[in-house]
Amino acid sequence: MIVRYEPWGAWVKLETEPAIVALDRAGVRALGLDGGRAWQAPPRASAPIELHMAVTARCGAGCEGCYLDVRPDGVEPPREVLLRELDAAAAAGVLTVAFGGGEPTTRDDLDLLADAARARGVAPVVTTSGLGLSDARVERLRRFDQVNVSYDGPGDTYASVRGFDASEAAERAIERLAAAGVRVGVNVVLTRSSFPALEGTIARARALGAVEAQLLRYKPAGRAASLDYLARRLSPGQARALGATLRGLAQTHCADGRFHVRVDCALVAFLSADEALARDPAALARFGVFGCEAAGALAAFTVDGRVAPCSFATASDLPALELAAHGDDPTLARWRAHVEAPPEPCASCSLRAICKGGCKVVSAHLDGAHGPDPECPRVQDARGERAA
Amino acid sequence: MKSERTVPPESIRAVRAGHGANCSSIGSVIDTLFATATVGAAVLAAVVAALGREDVRIAGDDAPPAPPPSPAELPPRDEP
Repeated sequence: MIVRYEPWGAWVKLETEPAIVALDRAGVRALGLDGGRAWQAPPRASAPIELHMAVTARCGAGCEGCYLDVRPDGVEPPREVLLRELDAAAAAGVLTVAFGGGEPTTRDDLDLLADAARARGVAPVVTTSGLGLSDARVERLRRFDQVNVSYDGPGDTYASVRGFDASEAAERAIERLAAAGVRVGVNVVLTRSSFPALEGTIARARALGAVEAQLLRYKPAGRAASLDYLARRLSPGQARALGATLRGLAQTHCADGRFHVRVDCALVAFLSADEALARDPAALARFGVFGCEAAGALAAFTVDGRVAPCSFATASDLPALELAAHGDDPTLARWRAHVEAPPEPCASCSLRAICKGGCKVVSAHLDGAHGPDPECPRVQDARGERAA
Repeated sequence: MKSERTVPPESIRAVRAGHGANCSSIGSVIDTLFATATVGAAVLAAVVAALGREDVRIAGDDAPPAPPPSPAELPPRDEP
């Protein structure tokens, strides 16, 4: 296990179970450990436990809603640069690195980067479109703890999200990776058009060999930060139905414990509309559900080597190589400040400590500032904006 | 470091299950919230058992100094 001390105890990344555990101080002492400097020094902002690292800005897919606006001729940092960034991540105590891009499988040295992360005690995972997945690329992906393939649904559903239908290529990728013994999940972007097809999408992914589905909120960044965003995002009714939808997916697909459904940080705000979940925030906390952790438990390295609060947010001036100083950076501190003292209606929300105010990228896009997530059902109710 | 040890279940503040392989936003397993108490207890038991048997490495500020990069990590790479 890998232990990272925190003022309240420690994060522990297990190696024989796929889990990260938060232990209090008594639990850490039971491991025979003393808490090190984190228990003696004055508390400060902790470094991220998860890092999203753009290893290329190159991608030929051309998805309409690409959150980074990447291109086929995007830059690709040399491996030595990325190795130094991995050194910085390890020194800061990052536990998991998710390689992204661009399309990370365009790098011939992706397997070496995975090995380098692992050698530094950081678990490597990766996201791919699955397009153009050669045998050599499948082989490289075997070095990762998990590979997620972007798969928004079969046929027209996929096309409605990305602007072209490459669903068959994504399906082949899921199948081939699973056959090669790779733990494979799918990333499903939830839009107004993909949400009604979600049950079928999950069933199909599962049949192809995926062991997990990560549901992603559509966010207004990159090419998605356009007027089109308003037509593509989930409708208010769909957002309110998320809790019930998750309950149904869990009953249908997860009862035997071999398939899991994840929600991304930005979707947690929508759970405020689910009476049972909103009534029991302790349950969400116990299962480690994270809302907005931008500049908190999460950070991103941009392809030009700077630290961003998350992959969707504008980067700070902090160089990636100085990640250990993330607690002192003023831009990152501003993101955390909102979480620590949110205005109403977040301040009185039962899910406040989990949700952390919803997605700041959405609030910045729609309201022009960090603030309560304007698509959160509870925020809409407070603003008198309830819609069908 | 390896020894016989028992972490009390009440010391486990949170369990984040799975690997989470998305590169754009941080995700959390949610289906366990709707699972039966038996499933929840099994997850906790597996975690307690792993905490009792796995070797410990320290990360972050208190980690031992990192070794120099292996030559195998460095460019160039010739094969396609």
